Amino acid sequence: MLRPIAAGLLACASVAQADSPRPATLPFALGGAYSLTDQHGAHRSQADPQNHAQLLFFGYANCPGICSAAMPLMADVTDALAARDMAVTPVMITIDPARDTVDTMAAPLADLHPAFVGLTGDTAALQAAWRAFSVEHNLAYVDPEHGPVYSHGSLIYLLDGAGVVQTIIPPVLDAAAAAQIVLTYTAPNG
Amino acid sequence: MRQLLSLLSCCLALPALASEGTRIQVTGEIIDTWCYYSGVMGPPDAVRGSGHHTCALWCSAGGIPVGLLAEDGTVYMVLKIGQDAQSAGGDTQLTLAAHTVTADGMLYERDGQNYIIVNDVVEDADITLRTHEDYGVVPPFAVPEDAR
Repeated sequence: MLRPIAAGLLACASVAQADSPRPATLPFALGGAYSLTDQHGAHRSQADPQNHAQLLFFGYANCPGICSAAMPLMADVTDALAARDMAVTPVMITIDPARDTVDTMAAPLADLHPAFVGLTGDTAALQAAWRAFSVEHNLAYVDPEHGPVYSHGSLIYLLDGAGVVQTIIPPVLDAAAAAQIVLTYTAPNG
Repeated sequence: MRQLLSLLSCCLALPALASEGTRIQVTGEIIDTWCYYSGVMGPPDAVRGSGHHTCALWCSAGGIPVGLLAEDGTVYMVLKIGQDAQSAGGDTQLTLAAHTVTADGMLYERDGQNYIIVNDVVEDADITLRTHEDYGVVPPFAVPEDAR
Protein backbone atom coordinates (compact mmCIF):
# COMPACT_ATOMS: atom_id res chain seq x y z
CA MET A 1 0.00 0.00 0.00
CA LEU A 2 2.52 2.53 -1.18
CA ARG A 3 0.50 5.45 -2.35
CA PRO A 4 -0.65 6.66 1.06
CA ILE A 5 2.68 6.11 2.70
CA ALA A 6 5.38 7.30 0.37
CA ALA A 7 5.75 10.45 2.41
CA GLY A 8 6.49 8.36 5.43
CA LEU A 9 9.73 7.05 4.08
CA LEU A 10 11.86 9.14 6.36
CA ALA A 11 10.04 7.64 9.27
CA CYS A 12 11.50 4.27 8.46
CA ALA A 13 12.91 2.41 11.36
CA SER A 14 16.65 2.44 11.23
CA VAL A 15 18.44 -0.54 9.83
CA ALA A 16 21.67 -1.57 11.42
CA GLN A 17 24.65 -0.56 9.37
CA ALA A 18 28.03 -2.14 9.54
CA ASP A 19 30.78 0.25 10.55
CA SER A 20 33.21 -1.34 8.20
CA PRO A 21 35.73 -0.31 5.56
CA ARG A 22 34.77 -0.10 1.91
CA PRO A 23 33.43 -3.51 0.86
CA ALA A 24 34.92 -5.61 -1.84
CA THR A 25 33.59 -5.47 -5.36
CA LEU A 26 30.23 -7.01 -6.03
CA PRO A 27 30.35 -10.77 -6.36
CA PHE A 28 28.53 -10.63 -9.66
CA ALA A 29 28.68 -8.64 -12.88
CA LEU A 30 26.20 -5.80 -13.05
CA GLY A 31 25.87 -2.65 -15.09
CA GLY A 32 27.31 -1.46 -18.34
CA ALA A 33 27.07 1.10 -21.05
CA TYR A 34 23.89 2.83 -22.12
CA SER A 35 23.07 5.73 -24.37
CA LEU A 36 19.79 7.49 -23.62
CA THR A 37 18.07 10.87 -23.66
CA ASP A 38 17.24 12.94 -20.59
CA GLN A 39 14.13 14.98 -19.87
CA HIS A 40 15.72 18.00 -21.52
CA GLY A 41 16.51 16.16 -24.74
CA ALA A 42 20.21 15.85 -24.03
CA HIS A 43 22.20 12.68 -24.53
CA ARG A 44 23.44 10.91 -21.44
CA SER A 45 25.51 7.80 -21.00
CA GLN A 46 26.31 5.81 -17.86
CA ALA A 47 28.99 8.38 -17.00
CA ASP A 48 27.99 11.45 -15.06
CA PRO A 49 29.08 14.61 -16.91
CA GLN A 50 30.36 16.11 -13.66
CA ASN A 51 31.86 12.85 -12.45
CA HIS A 52 29.45 12.70 -9.53
CA ALA A 53 28.41 9.45 -7.97
CA GLN A 54 24.97 8.37 -9.15
CA LEU A 55 21.94 6.71 -7.64
CA LEU A 56 20.31 4.75 -10.45
CA PHE A 57 16.82 3.30 -10.42
CA PHE A 58 14.63 1.74 -13.06
CA GLY A 59 11.02 2.82 -12.89
CA TYR A 60 8.73 5.43 -14.32
CA ALA A 61 8.09 9.00 -13.40
CA ASN A 62 4.41 8.59 -12.54
CA CYS A 63 4.62 5.16 -10.95
CA PRO A 64 2.29 4.66 -7.98
CA GLY A 65 4.13 1.52 -6.87
CA ILE A 66 7.68 1.07 -5.66
CA CYS A 67 8.87 4.17 -7.49
CA SER A 68 6.78 6.32 -5.18
CA ALA A 69 8.97 5.07 -2.37
CA ALA A 70 12.32 4.64 -4.08
CA MET A 71 12.54 7.90 -5.96
CA PRO A 72 11.66 10.13 -2.99
CA LEU A 73 14.25 8.13 -1.07
CA MET A 74 16.82 8.92 -3.74
CA ALA A 75 15.92 12.60 -3.48
CA ASP A 76 16.29 12.53 0.28
CA VAL A 77 19.63 10.75 0.06
CA THR A 78 20.80 13.35 -2.44
CA ASP A 79 19.93 16.11 0.03
CA ALA A 80 21.44 14.27 2.97
CA LEU A 81 24.71 13.87 1.13
CA ALA A 82 24.67 17.45 -0.14
CA ALA A 83 24.52 18.54 3.47
CA ARG A 84 27.82 16.73 3.87
CA ASP A 85 29.29 18.42 0.79
CA MET A 86 28.94 15.37 -1.38
CA ALA A 87 27.19 15.64 -4.72
CA VAL A 88 25.32 12.66 -6.11
CA THR A 89 22.99 12.58 -9.08
CA PRO A 90 19.69 10.70 -8.82
CA VAL A 91 18.93 9.00 -12.14
CA MET A 92 15.86 7.12 -13.27
CA ILE A 93 15.78 5.02 -16.43
CA THR A 94 12.23 4.47 -17.53
CA ILE A 95 10.69 1.07 -17.97
CA ASP A 96 7.62 2.69 -19.50
CA PRO A 97 8.77 4.75 -22.48
CA ALA A 98 5.20 5.13 -23.68
CA ARG A 99 4.47 7.18 -20.57
CA ASP A 100 7.91 8.66 -19.93
CA THR A 101 8.92 10.83 -22.85
CA VAL A 102 11.20 13.84 -23.05
CA ASP A 103 8.09 15.99 -22.86
CA THR A 104 6.40 14.29 -19.92
CA MET A 105 9.19 13.37 -17.52
CA ALA A 106 10.43 16.82 -16.52
CA ALA A 107 7.56 17.95 -14.33
CA PRO A 108 7.16 14.91 -12.08
CA LEU A 109 10.90 14.55 -11.69
CA ALA A 110 11.32 18.21 -10.82
CA ASP A 111 8.73 17.70 -8.12
CA LEU A 112 10.95 15.02 -6.62
CA HIS A 113 14.26 16.87 -6.80
CA PRO A 114 15.75 19.49 -9.11
CA ALA A 115 18.76 17.31 -9.75
CA PHE A 116 16.74 14.27 -10.79
CA VAL A 117 17.66 12.98 -14.23
CA GLY A 118 15.10 10.95 -16.16
CA LEU A 119 16.25 8.88 -19.09
CA THR A 120 14.29 7.46 -21.95
CA GLY A 121 15.01 6.35 -25.46
CA ASP A 122 13.99 4.07 -28.23
CA THR A 123 13.32 0.41 -27.60
CA ALA A 124 16.78 -0.77 -28.54
CA ALA A 125 18.55 1.81 -26.40
CA LEU A 126 16.39 1.07 -23.39
CA GLN A 127 16.71 -2.65 -23.80
CA ALA A 128 20.48 -2.26 -23.72
CA ALA A 129 20.21 -0.50 -20.37
CA TRP A 130 17.69 -3.00 -19.00
CA ARG A 131 19.92 -5.87 -20.06
CA ALA A 132 23.01 -4.31 -18.51
CA PHE A 133 21.24 -4.26 -15.15
CA SER A 134 19.11 -7.35 -15.83
CA VAL A 135 15.96 -5.39 -15.13
CA GLU A 136 12.71 -6.97 -16.20
CA HIS A 137 9.26 -5.52 -15.94
CA ASN A 138 5.81 -6.98 -16.24
CA LEU A 139 2.32 -5.57 -16.11
CA ALA A 140 1.11 -6.13 -12.55
CA TYR A 141 -2.35 -4.63 -12.80
CA VAL A 142 -4.22 -1.70 -14.26
CA ASP A 143 -5.04 0.97 -11.70
CA PRO A 144 -8.25 2.87 -12.51
CA GLU A 145 -6.54 6.13 -11.62
CA HIS A 146 -2.94 5.60 -12.72
CA GLY A 147 -3.29 3.17 -15.59
CA PRO A 148 -0.85 0.30 -16.07
CA VAL A 149 1.23 -0.54 -13.01
CA TYR A 150 4.36 -2.52 -13.66
CA SER A 151 6.23 -4.84 -11.39
CA HIS A 152 9.90 -4.32 -11.99
CA GLY A 153 13.33 -4.62 -10.47
CA SER A 154 13.41 -2.21 -7.57
CA LEU A 155 16.97 -2.04 -6.34
CA ILE A 156 18.82 1.25 -6.32
CA TYR A 157 22.28 1.02 -7.82
CA LEU A 158 25.16 3.17 -6.64
CA LEU A 159 27.36 4.08 -9.59
CA ASP A 160 30.57 6.03 -9.51
CA GLY A 161 31.14 8.99 -11.80
CA ALA A 162 32.22 6.76 -14.62
CA GLY A 163 29.09 4.68 -14.33
CA VAL A 164 30.60 1.62 -12.69
CA VAL A 165 28.30 -0.11 -10.21
CA GLN A 166 29.62 0.07 -6.66
CA THR A 167 26.83 -1.61 -4.73
CA ILE A 168 23.09 -2.10 -4.46
CA ILE A 169 20.75 -0.36 -2.04
CA PRO A 170 17.37 -1.82 -1.05
CA PRO A 171 14.62 0.74 -1.67
CA VAL A 172 13.14 0.20 1.78
CA LEU A 173 15.94 1.70 3.83
CA ASP A 174 15.58 5.09 5.43
CA ALA A 175 17.50 7.99 3.93
CA ALA A 176 20.13 8.10 6.66
CA ALA A 177 20.95 4.43 6.25
CA ALA A 178 21.08 4.67 2.47
CA ALA A 179 23.27 7.78 2.66
CA GLN A 180 25.63 5.99 4.99
CA ILE A 181 26.04 3.20 2.44
CA VAL A 182 26.90 5.75 -0.22
CA LEU A 183 29.46 7.37 2.04
CA THR A 184 31.09 4.01 2.61
CA TYR A 185 31.99 3.97 -1.07
CA THR A 186 32.79 7.60 -1.56
CA ALA A 187 34.39 8.94 1.63
CA PRO A 188 38.10 9.64 1.17
CA ASN A 189 39.07 6.96 3.63
CA GLY A 190 35.88 4.97 3.26
CA MET B 1 15.72 -9.67 -12.98
CA ARG B 2 15.73 -13.07 -14.62
CA GLN B 3 19.00 -12.48 -16.37
CA LEU B 4 20.59 -10.94 -13.32
CA LEU B 5 19.59 -13.78 -11.11
CA SER B 6 20.70 -16.34 -13.63
CA LEU B 7 23.96 -14.49 -13.68
CA LEU B 8 24.03 -14.39 -9.91
CA SER B 9 23.49 -18.11 -9.69
CA CYS B 10 26.17 -18.61 -12.27
CA CYS B 11 28.69 -16.45 -10.53
CA LEU B 12 28.11 -17.62 -7.01
CA ALA B 13 30.35 -20.60 -7.44
CA LEU B 14 33.36 -18.62 -8.58
CA PRO B 15 35.95 -19.05 -5.81
CA ALA B 16 38.03 -16.09 -6.88
CA LEU B 17 35.36 -13.58 -6.03
CA ALA B 18 36.06 -11.50 -2.97
CA SER B 19 32.53 -11.48 -1.64
CA GLU B 20 31.73 -15.13 -1.44
CA GLY B 21 28.37 -16.22 -0.21
CA THR B 22 27.63 -18.59 2.60
CA ARG B 23 25.12 -21.34 2.24
CA ILE B 24 22.51 -21.16 4.96
CA GLN B 25 19.20 -22.72 5.91
CA VAL B 26 16.93 -20.38 7.77
CA THR B 27 13.35 -20.49 9.03
CA GLY B 28 11.19 -17.42 9.18
CA GLU B 29 8.33 -15.43 7.74
CA ILE B 30 8.21 -13.91 4.27
CA ILE B 31 7.54 -10.26 5.05
CA ASP B 32 6.66 -7.05 3.28
CA THR B 33 9.88 -5.12 3.87
CA TRP B 34 8.36 -1.72 3.20
CA CYS B 35 5.69 -1.92 5.86
CA TYR B 36 7.99 -3.75 8.26
CA TYR B 37 10.74 -1.13 8.14
CA SER B 38 8.69 2.01 7.64
CA GLY B 39 6.32 1.52 10.54
CA VAL B 40 3.72 3.61 8.77
CA MET B 41 1.12 0.85 8.88
CA GLY B 42 1.74 -0.03 12.49
CA PRO B 43 4.27 -1.68 14.73
CA PRO B 44 6.31 -4.58 13.38
CA ASP B 45 4.07 -7.19 14.96
CA ALA B 46 1.02 -5.72 13.23
CA VAL B 47 2.50 -5.87 9.74
CA ARG B 48 3.14 -9.57 9.74
CA GLY B 49 1.03 -12.67 9.45
CA SER B 50 -2.60 -13.05 8.48
CA GLY B 51 -3.67 -9.50 9.30
CA HIS B 52 -1.21 -7.99 6.86
CA HIS B 53 -1.42 -10.62 4.17
CA THR B 54 -3.48 -8.60 1.70
CA CYS B 55 -1.31 -5.52 2.05
CA ALA B 56 1.79 -7.66 1.59
CA LEU B 57 0.38 -8.88 -1.71
CA TRP B 58 -0.23 -5.33 -2.88
CA CYS B 59 3.26 -4.25 -1.89
CA SER B 60 4.92 -7.20 -3.55
CA ALA B 61 2.92 -6.71 -6.72
CA GLY B 62 3.94 -3.05 -6.64
CA GLY B 63 7.63 -3.88 -6.53
CA ILE B 64 8.52 -3.99 -2.86
CA PRO B 65 11.18 -6.63 -2.28
CA VAL B 66 10.17 -9.36 0.11
CA GLY B 67 12.25 -10.25 3.12
CA LEU B 68 12.67 -13.28 5.27
CA LEU B 69 12.30 -12.46 8.96
CA ALA B 70 14.16 -15.18 10.81
CA GLU B 71 13.20 -16.47 14.20
CA ASP B 72 16.12 -14.57 15.76
CA GLY B 73 14.86 -11.27 14.30
CA THR B 74 17.34 -11.05 11.45
CA VAL B 75 15.89 -9.76 8.19
CA TYR B 76 17.23 -11.24 4.98
CA MET B 77 16.55 -9.20 1.86
CA VAL B 78 15.44 -11.73 -0.74
CA LEU B 79 17.00 -11.31 -4.18
CA LYS B 80 15.41 -14.40 -5.61
CA ILE B 81 13.32 -17.39 -4.59
CA GLY B 82 13.76 -20.60 -6.52
CA GLN B 83 13.15 -20.19 -10.19
CA ASP B 84 11.14 -17.02 -9.75
CA ALA B 85 13.30 -14.35 -11.26
CA GLN B 86 12.02 -11.38 -9.29
CA SER B 87 12.58 -10.08 -5.79
CA ALA B 88 8.97 -8.92 -5.74
CA GLY B 89 5.75 -9.55 -7.56
CA GLY B 90 6.62 -12.96 -8.91
CA ASP B 91 4.26 -15.88 -8.53
CA THR B 92 6.38 -17.51 -5.85
CA GLN B 93 6.71 -14.33 -3.82
CA LEU B 94 2.97 -13.75 -3.97
CA THR B 95 2.22 -17.34 -3.06
CA LEU B 96 4.52 -17.21 -0.05
CA ALA B 97 3.52 -13.79 1.30
CA ALA B 98 3.24 -13.97 5.11
CA HIS B 99 4.04 -17.68 5.08
CA THR B 100 6.50 -19.22 7.49
CA VAL B 101 9.07 -21.09 5.46
CA THR B 102 12.37 -22.83 5.79
CA ALA B 103 14.63 -21.61 3.03
CA ASP B 104 17.92 -22.96 1.80
CA GLY B 105 20.09 -20.50 -0.05
CA MET B 106 23.17 -18.35 -0.33
CA LEU B 107 23.75 -15.50 2.06
CA TYR B 108 25.64 -12.37 1.07
CA GLU B 109 26.47 -9.83 3.75
CA ARG B 110 27.13 -6.40 2.35
CA ASP B 111 26.80 -2.83 3.58
CA GLY B 112 25.27 -4.06 6.82
CA GLN B 113 22.52 -5.85 4.95
CA ASN B 114 21.84 -9.56 4.62
CA TYR B 115 20.96 -10.60 1.09
CA ILE B 116 19.76 -14.09 0.33
CA ILE B 117 19.26 -15.95 -2.89
CA VAL B 118 16.87 -18.74 -1.99
CA ASN B 119 17.63 -21.86 -3.92
CA ASP B 120 14.90 -23.96 -2.38
CA VAL B 121 11.97 -23.56 -0.04
CA VAL B 122 12.47 -26.66 2.02
CA GLU B 123 9.27 -26.31 4.00
CA ASP B 124 6.23 -24.07 3.66
CA ALA B 125 4.11 -24.00 6.82
CA ASP B 126 1.59 -21.55 5.30
CA ILE B 127 0.51 -18.52 7.35
CA THR B 128 1.13 -19.39 10.96
CA LEU B 129 0.91 -16.00 12.61
CA ARG B 130 -2.78 -15.18 13.12
CA THR B 131 -2.35 -11.46 13.64
CA HIS B 132 -5.85 -10.67 12.35
CA GLU B 133 -7.18 -11.91 15.68
CA ASP B 134 -5.39 -9.04 17.43
CA TYR B 135 -5.17 -6.35 14.76
CA GLY B 136 -7.83 -7.13 12.16
CA VAL B 137 -6.84 -6.27 8.60
CA VAL B 138 -3.76 -4.02 8.58
CA PRO B 139 -4.33 -1.50 7.15
CA PRO B 140 -8.12 -1.78 6.90
CA PHE B 141 -8.16 -0.22 3.43
CA ALA B 142 -6.00 -3.03 2.09
CA VAL B 143 -9.27 -4.78 1.37
CA PRO B 144 -11.63 -2.71 -0.80
CA GLU B 145 -14.89 -1.81 0.90
CA ASP B 146 -17.01 -3.76 -1.53
CA ALA B 147 -14.97 -6.88 -0.87
CA ARG B 148 -15.14 -6.86 2.92
